Amino acid sequence: MERRDTVQLGTQCGPLQRIARLPFSIVLVLPAQLIMLLVVVVPTLIVVWLSLTDWQPTDNIPWFKAEFSWFWNFYDLLSDERFVGAVLRTLFVVALCVSTELVLAVALALLFLDEWPWRKVAVSVIILPMMVVPVDAANAFFMLFNDHGPINQLLSLVLDRPFEYAWLADPHWALLPIIFAEVWQWTPLMFLLVLTAFLNVPRNQWRAALGLGATPAQAFFRVVLPLSLPVMLVAVLIRAIETFKIFDVIYILTRGGPGATTESISMYMYNGAFVYFRMGYVAAAALLVLFVVVSVCLALFKPLQKHYE
Amino acid sequence: MQNDDEAQKAVDRRSFLKSAAVGTAAFAAGTSLLSWARPAKAAGSLANVQSDAARAAKELAGGRVVTLRILEPSGSLGNIKPVADRWTADTGIKVEYIEVPLGEINQKVLLEAVSKAGSFDIALPASFGIPDLAESGILVDLDQLASKYEPEGYQDSIIYKTANYYKGNFYGYETDGDAYVMFYRKDWISDPEEQKRYADRYGITLKVPDTWEELDQQLAFFHRPESGRYGGALFRSQYFIAWEWWVRFHAKGFFPFTDDLAPQINNDAGVKALEELAAASKYLYPGARSNGLFENFEAYGKGDSYANIGWGGTQKYLNGDKSGVKGKLTYGPTPGGKVNGTLVRTPYFNWGWNYVVSSLSKEQEIAYLFTLYAVSPTLSTIAVRDPGGYFDPFRDEHYKDPEIIKLYSKEFLDVHEASMRGSIPDLYLKGQGEYFDVLRVNVQAADVGQKAPKQALDDTAREWDRISRRIGRKGQTVQWRFLKGLYPQAARSHLV
Amino acid sequence: MSDRNSARAPRLPKVLHRVAVVAAMVIAFFPVFWLLSTSFKPYEEWASSPPHWLPKKPTLQNYRIVFAPESARRFAATQAGSLDYKVSGSAWAAFGTSAVVATAATLLSVVAGTLAAYSISRFRIGGGSFAFQFLSVRMFPPIAVVVPMVVLFSMLRLTDTHLGLILAYTAFTLPFSIWMIRSFIEEIPVDLEGVAQVHGMSQVEAFLKVTLPLIRGGVLATALFVFILNWSEFLFALTLTSGHVVTVTLQVANYVSASSGKLYGVQAAMGTISTIPVIVFGFLIQSLVRGLTFGAVKE
Repeated sequence: MERRDTVQLGTQCGPLQRIARLPFSIVLVLPAQLIMLLVVVVPTLIVVWLSLTDWQPTDNIPWFKAEFSWFWNFYDLLSDERFVGAVLRTLFVVALCVSTELVLAVALALLFLDEWPWRKVAVSVIILPMMVVPVDAANAFFMLFNDHGPINQLLSLVLDRPFEYAWLADPHWALLPIIFAEVWQWTPLMFLLVLTAFLNVPRNQWRAALGLGATPAQAFFRVVLPLSLPVMLVAVLIRAIETFKIFDVIYILTRGGPGATTESISMYMYNGAFVYFRMGYVAAAALLVLFVVVSVCLALFKPLQKHYE
Repeated sequence: MQNDDEAQKAVDRRSFLKSAAVGTAAFAAGTSLLSWARPAKAAGSLANVQSDAARAAKELAGGRVVTLRILEPSGSLGNIKPVADRWTADTGIKVEYIEVPLGEINQKVLLEAVSKAGSFDIALPASFGIPDLAESGILVDLDQLASKYEPEGYQDSIIYKTANYYKGNFYGYETDGDAYVMFYRKDWISDPEEQKRYADRYGITLKVPDTWEELDQQLAFFHRPESGRYGGALFRSQYFIAWEWWVRFHAKGFFPFTDDLAPQINNDAGVKALEELAAASKYLYPGARSNGLFENFEAYGKGDSYANIGWGGTQKYLNGDKSGVKGKLTYGPTPGGKVNGTLVRTPYFNWGWNYVVSSLSKEQEIAYLFTLYAVSPTLSTIAVRDPGGYFDPFRDEHYKDPEIIKLYSKEFLDVHEASMRGSIPDLYLKGQGEYFDVLRVNVQAADVGQKAPKQALDDTAREWDRISRRIGRKGQTVQWRFLKGLYPQAARSHLV
Repeated sequence: MSDRNSARAPRLPKVLHRVAVVAAMVIAFFPVFWLLSTSFKPYEEWASSPPHWLPKKPTLQNYRIVFAPESARRFAATQAGSLDYKVSGSAWAAFGTSAVVATAATLLSVVAGTLAAYSISRFRIGGGSFAFQFLSVRMFPPIAVVVPMVVLFSMLRLTDTHLGLILAYTAFTLPFSIWMIRSFIEEIPVDLEGVAQVHGMSQVEAFLKVTLPLIRGGVLATALFVFILNWSEFLFALTLTSGHVVTVTLQVANYVSASSGKLYGVQAAMGTISTIPVIVFGFLIQSLVRGLTFGAVKE
């Protein structure tokens, strides 16, 4: 393609003139780049610095004068059972949530492939969860899982005995309401993506399969599903990345408690920074997490990118 | 039998009040030690302190429009607003409130030290956070302003002032009386049938318990879930659980640290205290592990538990119209323990709120004058009177005010006052938040059965060493030894 | 929408199918229903045992507390035993703040994003991986940059300001804006602009007058999507402010009181109202992108 990216914008004075001399293409991305620089790049550099110190506000020294402590933070982190627990727990939650969302989404999408009179209404109701502010949804689940809440009431009816379990105070089961809330809220998104993928499978392929004697079920598994796989994979990846950052739900429901039994990585870092104020330590944790996330995503993205280009 | 009990109770109460009085003397000595560094007091009498403060503030404001912003814990507005409204009437200076959830106010103040947003002039952090806040530089050292404006004798009638000072400097007035107090069902204790059954089973009389062992026994005795009755309400949720352990541990006769700052919390006494705490959990109401402050009030107020632990704020609720146990309660100090044959009591001042001034404030002098105004004898009485907040009596005058007596009941105030006078200080060291957070998490882990008590306390002790090391052992040891000296004589002589 | 072949799905008996769909609808709606129902419950019914599915004595008091605290106080004074809640401000400020911050951040994000997306798409700036650079920002757990942001903002005096939040929100929604708008731009052939330029328009004009109108729907959908993200945002609002700038997501957490703990009903009322813009915009987006697939897949 011809490079026609320089443009004359007249002869104003000063910085405008200098910007005018830049290639037009650069000028266009300047606003975005500047914002990213300020809000993302500079803070990341600060994180790198902080992770090599043990800065705490109670030391009453400005952060750039904090005492250097080399790589001790990283060393301590790797043997910190609370941090390792948070990482493993987050990976567990991501795996459980995303796989549950995918299965439910596929099942739901199957129900919506056909047309029937009130289909549009049904779709609108099903996608309602993802249009509720996450904080408010979390509050709703807080009320639902209350000792005297409807979930316990329904369980009492099923089990035929009074059931007043304090879900959110139990170190073993407190993750359940959290996973519930997360799956409830985001299955509709997966559902939409999966349904769109199913509906976009070219009709000829489907017709051909049926023509060759396949049953609808076989045609589905052998034709529709494989062709939808790329979209489903993207959906899974998107949801995995978002679930990895899970924070709002946990903050509202348990704050990471009881103890540290429902702490995700984000909750751990929030507690570390804003409750315990160990900011140097948390910066090191943040760096470790960033490193892992970016390398995993790059490793996964390269083949996907090639697939799309 | 009854008369003996009455006599016994009277003797116990008297001896407790006596030791408390001795404690007060020691306290006064201790705090006067603290105030030696402060310059001589200014002229101006105590009787006119609020008009003087108001006048000085008005002069400083000149003709400007000044607004004081107060960062307050949610729910305390009832205690601040009546005072602030009078202030605005007297000085023309407006007051704005920034409300924060009550478990988070200390962090919000500490966050100011980092973010430097300058969003408030005055704050009401919980007293145990003063050391950390002072170290971070967000608090104004009020010695100068106090020497300028504080009249002679102003702080004399404030019963508990330990938290006002850190490393010899004055940071703000204590404005709440948060000694830990016990609540019991008077009608259950004095029921002759229950008394007989108890005497038959245990061989001793049923009365307000002196020791934790006795309390645990009574909790087990009254725990009858089949008939809808529970041994106790109390607290087993994370924010509160470590406080009960703290008293149980001290009552066994030990300080948390040795003189060399080595943690003692994981010795046999500490482990036993934790085991007993976890064992007592079986006799508590079902919500103990998940419920916070207000849920505790409501649950005990329903009337199906025998005992509860709490503060004046608890009593404000229980003696109010929403409570089902009004008039049915008797009170006691937190139980003590038998150390070498003597009964040792260690009442515990474990919360409290202090008025502090932010070092980022542009109106520090006026802000200080507001706190002087608000904590003055007359106005603090008005504040404590309000049932819509949780400031409890903290000055001698409060215990004589008829409205306050009506609000809390005389019986309660007697026990409250004695506990205030004899209470051990909280862990006023740099890093208090960290020390206690580790303790809380581990105590709760032991309580729910995730960790063995010995393991939990060993982990805590190890973390405490690490925290001490990071903070600087030498300075911390000096500060700890000083803090040890602030324990009331009656308790200190029995602790090791 | 592509027409449906009724033989697509593995066949399920009609009744079973309808029941399954209804069950899914009930599960989807139930928490929202509970929120709505609680918002009309009086104080005694918030956490009653057994729980009341519908309020036995519906009241508007919760909404009064949220929007008209004076009126709420007067009402509480007339009703013995009703909630006596001293509130220090109404929720109007929170709605105003959220509206201002979300709108400004959305505008900034979409404008900067469109410019950048155009440059990436037409000039292939930074090679093909530029887009992924931006997307990798989306992978950052925001908490990782919050601590240094607090520090940085404190030095720039941006803590607890509207501008600070706006900048933070913009930076974290830019990847979406660029990604989505880029895919819309890619669907418009470059030749269209070439033709316009042959007819005398400059390159800028060609973009503004030819391409932009064609992707108008997509840009609007992106803007609505970004607005929803900004409106629902919680972490930055929590950590980058200290009481002066309060968004709707933060305001909900302010409804706790000394004597009653968490005020479920009031929180539910606040939650219900603050969710309405999201629902409205969400359905708007749905109708706009009917046929589009968020650029994830091409036919």
